[in-house]
Amino acid sequence: MSKAQLNKNKSNLKIGVFLCRCGGNISDIIDMEKLRLSVKAEVIEEFENLCSINGRKIIRDNIIKKNLDRVVVAACSPITHEKTFQNYVSPLNPYLLEMANIREQCSWVNPDNITATEKAISIVNAAIEKVKYSQPLVPILRKTPNTAAVIGGGISGISASLSLARQGIETYLIEKEPTIGGSMVKVGKLFSPEKLAEECAMCLLNPLVNEAVQNKNINIITNTTLKSAERRAGNFNLLIENKARKVITDRCISCGNCAEVCPVEVKDSWNEGMTIRKAIYKPFSQAVPDVYTIDPENCKKCGKCQDVCRMDAIDLTMEDEIIPMTVGSVVIATGHKTFDMNKRPEYSYGRHKDILTQMELARVMGVNGPTKGELLKPSDGKVPQRVVMIQCVGSRDEKPGGRKYCSKVCCMVAIKHANVIKQHYPDTDVIIGYTDMRTPGMYEKYFKYAQSNEVRLIRGRPGEIEEKDGIFIVRLEDTLSKEPLEIETDLVVLSTAMEPSEGTVDVSNILDVGLTEELFVKEKHSKIKPVATEVEGIYVCGTAQGPKDITDSIVQANAASAKVSELINGGVELEPFVANIDNSKCNLCKKCIDVCKYKAAFIQDNMLSVDPVACVGCGACLWECENNAIEIIGQTDEQILSMITGMLKDKKPDETRIIAFLDSVGYVSADNIGINKINVPSSIRIIKIPSMNRIMPKHLLHAFNMGADGIIMGEYPYNPMYSKTKEKVNGLKQELIKNNINPDRLAFYKVYIPYFRGLANKFNKFNNQIIELGKIGSKIDS
Amino acid sequence: MKTIKLDKNPLKLVKDVLNDLKASPDLGIYKCVQCGMCASICPGASQTEYDPRDMIRRVLENDETIIDDETIWDCFSCYTCNSICPSGNNASEVNQILRQMSIEKGEGAQKIKDFCAYGDSFMEMGIGSIPNEFFNVMVKDVGNKYMDLKVNIEDIRTDLGLGNYILPKESTDEIEAILDNSGFKVRLEKIKRCKK
Ligand code: SF4
Ligand code: SF4
Ligand code: SF4
Ligand code: SF4
Repeated sequence: MSKAQLNKNKSNLKIGVFLCRCGGNISDIIDMEKLRLSVKAEVIEEFENLCSINGRKIIRDNIIKKNLDRVVVAACSPITHEKTFQNYVSPLNPYLLEMANIREQCSWVNPDNITATEKAISIVNAAIEKVKYSQPLVPILRKTPNTAAVIGGGISGISASLSLARQGIETYLIEKEPTIGGSMVKVGKLFSPEKLAEECAMCLLNPLVNEAVQNKNINIITNTTLKSAERRAGNFNLLIENKARKVITDRCISCGNCAEVCPVEVKDSWNEGMTIRKAIYKPFSQAVPDVYTIDPENCKKCGKCQDVCRMDAIDLTMEDEIIPMTVGSVVIATGHKTFDMNKRPEYSYGRHKDILTQMELARVMGVNGPTKGELLKPSDGKVPQRVVMIQCVGSRDEKPGGRKYCSKVCCMVAIKHANVIKQHYPDTDVIIGYTDMRTPGMYEKYFKYAQSNEVRLIRGRPGEIEEKDGIFIVRLEDTLSKEPLEIETDLVVLSTAMEPSEGTVDVSNILDVGLTEELFVKEKHSKIKPVATEVEGIYVCGTAQGPKDITDSIVQANAASAKVSELINGGVELEPFVANIDNSKCNLCKKCIDVCKYKAAFIQDNMLSVDPVACVGCGACLWECENNAIEIIGQTDEQILSMITGMLKDKKPDETRIIAFLDSVGYVSADNIGINKINVPSSIRIIKIPSMNRIMPKHLLHAFNMGADGIIMGEYPYNPMYSKTKEKVNGLKQELIKNNINPDRLAFYKVYIPYFRGLANKFNKFNNQIIELGKIGSKIDS
Repeated sequence: MKTIKLDKNPLKLVKDVLNDLKASPDLGIYKCVQCGMCASICPGASQTEYDPRDMIRRVLENDETIIDDETIWDCFSCYTCNSICPSGNNASEVNQILRQMSIEKGEGAQKIKDFCAYGDSFMEMGIGSIPNEFFNVMVKDVGNKYMDLKVNIEDIRTDLGLGNYILPKESTDEIEAILDNSGFKVRLEKIKRCKK
């Protein structure tokens, strides 16, 4: 039925109103007789327990016998039983039911039966008025294509891809380096707190990498970065840029002849710059894909490699390529980088070869590293007599450029390296200078193990490292003995902070997902939605989201892929209360697109569309649209205005009435007031609105015209559109002033579910304030 | 054994320090993690019993004996602790506030009594000049050229093309009035009267 038809027939609609006594919960306070006589409808029935099977029969029989078009159930809160009654109204469309909450928000908060009955009448009237404009709707069925892009090929990205692929999802694993593996391939050893032993990282990672290569659902795309992204109705259209490898992957047999003849030598980042590689190289022997790559920044195009390559695999003219792809979901797994030591000159890093970071030490001790696994000082190739490790370098640091957070893994990394050193070089003294040793859970066992391995711990954070006659002096205070100390040593290792990688920031900007203050990817909710981002369909895992170890990264990767799979397989039904566009009015000004933080609106084929999965129906776009081209289904202007009318139409001259627009959180909070039997002023009339962004001047003016003396707006502050709402309230107040209404008649509050007492207090205070201001239209308003 | 008493105001000393006029609005005493980074590079700590970290600890533990502790006078006010503190605290500032508290209470006044001559020179001439009492120390530290400078100051200034550094009477009167009205004079006298 079209909207025009609905409106035309509005007066002829047959509406059934069913009143529930709720075993006295309602009928002990509310005068049911009076309520029944005060409402106008085709059918008015009253029953003890409408939610019972007998109640269902009464409702259904009436619908069928009396041919009802709409139903109002005046009973408990819709939060409690809306789903039940939506079932009970079948064969009517479930969205043609409206509930009037006369229990939680009326009989339970209003002990006086005269005012409670008056309130109940207006609540039922509001529901009747609203239901006249209700349309039959079908829930939105979410359908997401069976494809995903995982950006970043470290342990998180590999784990996420494997999990997706095993669930049958076609996955593109995009890595900017020539090989996948990320930081994990560099760290050499992993420690196991259970076994109190160190294991070979590469040996654990290799089977996963091999599986990724072999799994037909995974497409590994290396040397590639994300260039742009657009969201289209549950899809993401991505453009990725593949940097020319200049080696034909299918032909290269990885013999390495080319690298032998290449004259260009550059620092090898795989060994943290401690060794040299050529301009044509393979990062490490087990690299995947197992081919050589030319680094275009350093290649001189001399052609020597081409001359020796027997497979004719080298093509120096190969060009970068932009590849478009469409996927249903995106997983960000772009990882981290380590702290830039130039910011902390007091530790002399970079001025002395024997001051290393933990990652460099990992390479030194890696069997495939510069010293083939021997602990030798870079300066002279000798085994150090002592190693001093400094914790929290750049972490827990409020100085400029520092990171305020704890990097979470460095204590364990230091202990791991200390243990490895003590096992192989028992004569090397190892001292860790720390502020707090953070080894939660099982890691504490590994910490104890380090103590028994004679690793020494001194509680103090070093302020500087100085070199004197060829040895280092590390200055710190032994804070437990209150003694300033100078520790002599010949090797220093810095436990540097984990920072968000450039890739993390770039990719987030391209995908338009929010970042934290520290520039990690922001989760939708840090406690209960730890892998979702603010954009539906984009998930995050690993160190792109914050410092964490390998175990946690894998856990999060699996969680992210489970979320992708939920989207694909769940077929979740969503309430259809979303924005609806009238394209004949829309002039494509894009203002709605700019305002929507959920990125729900977009233009496709010269038409504005709204992704019903992403849209939350907040209504912020309605304000922006100068052409009235947008409406929110279930919250149309007619519906809001008619609810206001219903709440106020029988207001008596001596009565005070306050309309309280509450969002869903505020509405639950108001129910909680009732459940806890806290009294609220009889003037309060609650109308549920998904977001205060939906409220426009015309709604407020209509309410004041109909006799409201005051209006409350209540919104939960932790939603992406909240900042917008706050701005808006000022605009609304200005509108009131223009219309000679005292702006103090409008109040805006933050609401929280558990803070219902606070909300009840606000109702009381505002009520008193309005009584003091006097009736609407009094002197104070002109 | 020390007992942490059931005290109504267990953080009185920190609050007093934070409420002091001299305290910067973001002075982060509460954020101190007792890492000792300040003490590790503090010249006072390396040469004396002064320990900026421990001073902060005592302030946090409401140990008011820190105010009259001799060691707080061994801070050089070099501000290195401030520049290195990873927690946004400033031990040198706390030190200066504690010293002022000590001066207010009387005990600390004698520590600065010798410097009253600086105050006098401000009152008289409107400039700070090294008091005669310190000449011997200066000669010891700088050598005889310090006395040469003192004796020939006028000539040296003329050679360098610098003007007269003696302020005109109306200026010195004005400065004196400011110092008087601001309470500086009374404070100076009070410090002078304290017993060594
Ligand atoms: S063409 Fe480039 S990669 Fe090949 S040998 Fe010459 S410099 Fe090296
Ligand atoms: S994990 Fe340890 S070293 Fe790293 S920042 Fe946290 S406390 Fe400091
Ligand atoms: S109603 Fe809200 S979420 Fe939906 S398109 Fe408009 S602004 Fe975006
Ligand atoms: S004041 Fe700063 S540097 Fe000193 S102990 Fe406290 S946190 Fe560490």
